[in-house]
Amino acid sequence: MVKISVLQHDPSMHLPMRPGDPTPMSRNLNPLMHPFARARERTRALNAAKMDRMFAKPFVASLEGHVDAVEVLCRKPDSLTTVASGSWDGGIILHDLVTRKPIAKLPQAHKGKVSGLCFSPDGERVLSCGVDRNVKLWSASGDSSSTETPLNVFPGKAVFNSVDHHRTDPLFATASNTVQIWDETKSAPISNLTFPTSTETITSVRFNMSESSVLASIGSDRTFTLYDIRTGKAERRVVMQMQSNSLAWSPTFPTTILLASEDHNLYTFDIRHLDAPTQIYKAHVAAVMSCDWSPTGLEFVSGGWDRTVRIWQEGKGRQPEVYHTKRMQRVTSTVFSADARFVLSGSDDGNVRIWKAKASDKLGVVTARERAAMEYRESLKDRWRVDSEVDRVARTRHLPKAVHQTNKLKNTMLEARRVKEERRRKHTRAGENKPKPERKKLVIAEQT
Amino acid sequence: MDLLIAKADAIQPLSKKRKSSHSTSGRSAGKARAASNSDFTLNTVVKHTSIPKSLQDSAPLPENGPSYKHIANKKLRTQLNRQSAQTARSQALVEDAEMLLLDEAGGLQVENDMDRTWRVGQTDILQSAGQEAAKGRREYKLDGGPYRSRYSRNGRHLAIAGRTGHVSTFDWQTGTVHAELQLQETCRDITFLQDHSFFAVAQKKYAFIYDRDGVEVHCLKGHIEPTRLEFLPYHWLLATVGNPGYLKYQDTSTGQLLVEHRTKMGACSTMTQNLHNAVIHLGHQNGCVTLWTPNLPHPAVQLLAHVGPVVSVAVDPSEGGRYMATSGRDGTVKVWDCRNWKGAVRDWTVRGGGDPELEWSARGYLAVASSGTVNIYNTPSIHTPFHVKTAPPLYMTHPIPHRPLTSVRFAPFQDILTVGHSNGLSSVIVPGSGEPNFDSREADPFENTKARREREVKALLDKIQPDLITLDPDMVGNLAPVSKLTTEVTTVNGKPRTDIPFARLPRIDRLRVSGKMDDTEENNEEEGEGGDEESKKHAKEEREKRKMRGKGKSMKRYLRKQRKNVIDPAAIAIRAKLERQKEEKRKAAAASAGNAEEKKPSALDRFTRTKQKH
Repeated sequence: MVKISVLQHDPSMHLPMRPGDPTPMSRNLNPLMHPFARARERTRALNAAKMDRMFAKPFVASLEGHVDAVEVLCRKPDSLTTVASGSWDGGIILHDLVTRKPIAKLPQAHKGKVSGLCFSPDGERVLSCGVDRNVKLWSASGDSSSTETPLNVFPGKAVFNSVDHHRTDPLFATASNTVQIWDETKSAPISNLTFPTSTETITSVRFNMSESSVLASIGSDRTFTLYDIRTGKAERRVVMQMQSNSLAWSPTFPTTILLASEDHNLYTFDIRHLDAPTQIYKAHVAAVMSCDWSPTGLEFVSGGWDRTVRIWQEGKGRQPEVYHTKRMQRVTSTVFSADARFVLSGSDDGNVRIWKAKASDKLGVVTARERAAMEYRESLKDRWRVDSEVDRVARTRHLPKAVHQTNKLKNTMLEARRVKEERRRKHTRAGENKPKPERKKLVIAEQT
Repeated sequence: MDLLIAKADAIQPLSKKRKSSHSTSGRSAGKARAASNSDFTLNTVVKHTSIPKSLQDSAPLPENGPSYKHIANKKLRTQLNRQSAQTARSQALVEDAEMLLLDEAGGLQVENDMDRTWRVGQTDILQSAGQEAAKGRREYKLDGGPYRSRYSRNGRHLAIAGRTGHVSTFDWQTGTVHAELQLQETCRDITFLQDHSFFAVAQKKYAFIYDRDGVEVHCLKGHIEPTRLEFLPYHWLLATVGNPGYLKYQDTSTGQLLVEHRTKMGACSTMTQNLHNAVIHLGHQNGCVTLWTPNLPHPAVQLLAHVGPVVSVAVDPSEGGRYMATSGRDGTVKVWDCRNWKGAVRDWTVRGGGDPELEWSARGYLAVASSGTVNIYNTPSIHTPFHVKTAPPLYMTHPIPHRPLTSVRFAPFQDILTVGHSNGLSSVIVPGSGEPNFDSREADPFENTKARREREVKALLDKIQPDLITLDPDMVGNLAPVSKLTTEVTTVNGKPRTDIPFARLPRIDRLRVSGKMDDTEENNEEEGEGGDEESKKHAKEEREKRKMRGKGKSMKRYLRKQRKNVIDPAAIAIRAKLERQKEEKRKAAAASAGNAEEKKPSALDRFTRTKQKH
């Protein structure tokens, strides 16, 4: 006898029970049932990369109101929407990002440019400093009566370049030819902090967010200095190849600090090891004017003299996201929004621009299916990053012609320099020692 | 300041040096693990965001996974290792998921040794089969010559074309006829395109595309006198071959005639596709079987399979396209291993001769239709090498008294074999031949209109570019093989300069490395260099002399003017000509001297007239 069994599909298993029910899906994961699975996945990854570029519309809005270049931007500590900007015309504007209208305007806050701006920790007051040798304290409530006159004025002896408030105490630090610590209730500085042999101009000063008595400053003497207000003196100083233009403490790693340098690069330092930066970030083709960390500490934004805004991943020193428009001039200030979804840039043309932190991000309501599709696309791109075609689509950015040409020129120069160094090493005694890594070349001297 | 540093050190070691010292002085295992993870923010949230331990992968990784030790880039290596671990885990999960499959494959099982499965006839099968399955046994009695048939990918629809022009497509389960045409000219083949909404017919002069209702949509005038059609579903390509001997690929999503390959082997009437790598197999009049891809102008593989014309080719879908079966007009059937073309795995002669038609089912059953019977063989016996030329043990057989049998098709996801013959078509039940479990994402016999539309759009988005068709379908996404180009061409102080990337080499080295350097001239000059001082001097003089003497010749001057590292076809041709002339001169000189070279004996020497020596 032969046992006979014939395949038959039970329609009740594969058809909907009642009209209107969804048709049951049946899956068979045997790889032979899915020919070309890899090739099809690659096609999907390529499509995902292309869609990402297609939907990349990063520019959100432009906030007008200043008649001259925007010098500083700062965000209100516990607010997602309020940002203050200070300009070369001496005006300060508090912007509301949702309505895109000013909350308050202080057209003549200072004579000459506003060089520093920061909120008090409770967000009620704004401190501003300017080249008119005054630090002024303003109310940030937005009533027209309170914005005409400052709550308090702290006269100084030299031009102020930067101001930063202490995280908890009613103290603030200013940068002029020295770093000065002020009490909000006293009209004279309570202490002066300088490195003993220094005669430089301090361009920026920032308090550490975790250990709030530590502050860092950068100076015109190509230096980066760390102070402690409890000991009342400068602790460390580093002299570098080129001057830095801006600095920012990492919000999540208390010992990490980011410097935007005049030599077109950004550097992150671990302050425990000041002999070399932990990472060099290279892409700008002119001096980097400003930088700011995302609140997540995973990325940061920088604005440059080359009229571009770039968004970097922490620890990845190449190929940042790059934003530019035809009308945006030298970017002098940048700031991340508190929800890490937006980036603000203030530039020489007097506008504050709002950008998405992820260029192809969808604003507005996203359904669950859409979100799942986006996440799938994201993981596909990640997985197929090694494929040259996918990588090319994901990486390629259109740059303004000027930036592109400068970049080419810069590359040629660097290449020539490298070749020269290679030949020098090959034909002289310089070749006997190991070449010095670029990270180690940056710091000239470390002083304590 | 110091407090900050101290705190930071306690929390998380950032630098490598500190990390290693930390882990060596490890106290408890848990703490060490926490410390070794360098991301502090991750550590704080990991407790609350990770999956519960009961759900985490605990299975150890298989040991025979690919090794990436040779990769120098640490990041890439880690990523590849992680990926292969992920793949191994997901494969294990896929094996688990087999429990969830609904249907079981059919089959014939003998209960004692004396029984034979081939003794079971269709009547026995019909008696024991279920009502639904028994519907598969049908006889379509149709006029209009031998019929060819084709199932749609989900096995639900059947397209038939009679030799004299009767074309029809229908849902064979419900009996709904979509289109019925009397084309009144020769129809040689028919195939569905992406699904049953379009089909292509190879007619007398051109190939035509019809929509579901039988309305002629396109006349493909580029395809002249087509004899066979194949549709590659994942690439959206319609491949045709015809009497002029051209293999043509038409992209059905863009309408572009992608490429036409001249086979140079005359009229061709045998074609099949390998479902797993989209390679087209052609069988020719002279006994050759050729494998084609769109991106190669010549066959990827050419194989002399039979002494007479090849009449049928089939590829085994059950083993990932590893085996191919061919049959010739001489009545032999051969099974080939597509990874190793050294001779057939198994070959036998069918009884009664004729043109054996072949088809392989999704589970590896081979149907051979010749001279009034269909024989079905099953897997292990047809794949195992066997030195005697006898037919493998039979699985099933079914007589069909209407010769010739022109097409054999297994229905996907059914135990049904449809044979086209001069009197119409017969469907017979072959238990065990069909894949029991379909995947709704690929092909679903029960799908509704909405699902069909959805799948069509998805398939279009996932369309694979035709230049990715290769013999190895896993080529995409694999590591590129190590380049054979080495940049070690120049040495400095006896040491090879290995660290110079290709792009930074001087032009002459780049040419040499990539094998494009024309070094004929240099070799000529180097010939004269001898070992000792005396001969060197001599050679130099010789060279000078020659140089002086040859200076006047225009051809030499032309060659001298050409830069050596520039590849100019004219210069190369002239050099080759000079070489030839030199060789002839040398031979003439040798002949005149009387010591002509002794030729190597060749097989044709026996025909040369021998000179009588004086």
